Amino acid sequence: MRCIMPTVTYVDFEGESTQQELAEGMTLMQGAVMNGVEGIEGECSGSCACATCHCYVDDAWLSTLPEMSENEDEMLDDTASERKPNSRLSCQIKASADLDGIVIHMPEEQE
Amino acid sequence: MFRFDPYSPEIDENPFPAYATLRAEYPCFWSEDAQMWILSRHKDIVMALNDWQTFSSAKGNMLKELPGRAGQTLGTTDPPRHDRLRALIQKAFTKRALKHLLEPAQATARKHLEALQGREQFDFVAEFSSNYTVDLIVYMFDLPKEGLDVVRDKAVLMVQTDPVTREKGPESLEAYQWMQDYAGKLIEQRKKNPGEDLLSQFILSEIDGDKLKDQEILLTITTLIMAGIESLSGFMTILIKNITDFPEVREALVADPSLIPDAIEESLRYNTSAQRFRRTIAKEITLHGQTMKPGDKVCLTYGSGNRDEDMFPNADVYDLSRKPKGHLGFGGGVHACIGTAIARLACTTAVEEILKAFPNLSKVEQELRWMPSSNFRSPLELQVKI
Repeated sequence: MRCIMPTVTYVDFEGESTQQELAEGMTLMQGAVMNGVEGIEGECSGSCACATCHCYVDDAWLSTLPEMSENEDEMLDDTASERKPNSRLSCQIKASADLDGIVIHMPEEQE
Repeated sequence: MFRFDPYSPEIDENPFPAYATLRAEYPCFWSEDAQMWILSRHKDIVMALNDWQTFSSAKGNMLKELPGRAGQTLGTTDPPRHDRLRALIQKAFTKRALKHLLEPAQATARKHLEALQGREQFDFVAEFSSNYTVDLIVYMFDLPKEGLDVVRDKAVLMVQTDPVTREKGPESLEAYQWMQDYAGKLIEQRKKNPGEDLLSQFILSEIDGDKLKDQEILLTITTLIMAGIESLSGFMTILIKNITDFPEVREALVADPSLIPDAIEESLRYNTSAQRFRRTIAKEITLHGQTMKPGDKVCLTYGSGNRDEDMFPNADVYDLSRKPKGHLGFGGGVHACIGTAIARLACTTAVEEILKAFPNLSKVEQELRWMPSSNFRSPLELQVKI
């Protein structure tokens, strides 16, 4: 059985980056919160109801992501920092082998 | 032979030495006393919190569950239904939505502190945190002003467990029934006359066009009242205990109140009141050589994960400058506490006002009586000197 821990690179607003290995299935929001990566809040713990885990996904990975739900789309209209074409909620993206190496950028503010 | 009994008064008083043994020697320990597995390392608890398919909440989340509660509340359902329920309630609980709470919180804190002027010492639980948290929940839920002392007493009794029988005692069960009746009457009234309050919003909400079941509304509201009063007051008491146990912390906060949120986060890590919650195994899993089978109960020992040296160096030291991230003071995963923004706001406001009114607040030598509870840990009374 192949057993890897997908790696996620979180880049903060200042450009500093940290890498975290996440268990498969863990969301990128949870990976940030539980590992103390700053810049992702995740107030609603992943129920797609607060838009405080907003991130900008590196363009190279956009096409690999699961499609956005209608609810996520609506929540993204309510982010504290500007919504861009590569905006996603990191609670809706799960770490997986396909996303091993993904890079996400944190916005200036979440609230 | 090592034992770990989360129902024992010794663990209520000081669980930390036992946690250290669990983490070092028995990271996946079968407790004969509690009849459940005990996970104590930060990494394992985080893993369990994020794997609800294996570690299910649908059979309850309290070590000794209250009857009929499993499957009916936010904390006792699994995704996807949990996420839909949570999304409904969450909107009212975000930091942005709670800005309106700041002024009422300041006003009620000042009122209760005013009443203490001229005293030498007071019981922080009976004379501040109980009143303050009840006032906040009355404001948020628009509760009737009568009989609030009883509501508070019942909320506190609900979370207790009997150290001898390791069950919910008759008083706790009676309190639980009482709270359901109380919530039931509120729901009836709000259905007839809905207002702007959180309860009315919740009662009127629908999930994907599917109305919430009456029993879900009833037990979720019962839980929110319990948590809003008991959990918040319990944690606030622990916070004040830390501030008075460590005078250098109090001095730092008086000199620079912007450090108060750091004291709150470090207290959530150091000795959070929510010490232990439960899951039930839904899929067989082997951890540290032990195989946990479907139906087995598992205790996630947040209070121990928060003292795990692999996550927090010098974990047994209260360090105001630590700014701990990833602590388990509010649990984690999809079931992380919904009231975090309220708790942070309420605690920050309370400590600001308390230290403004009583900058010399200090410890009184006393024998603390701890709440008998397999889930929560807080003193029943805390005398402090003004």
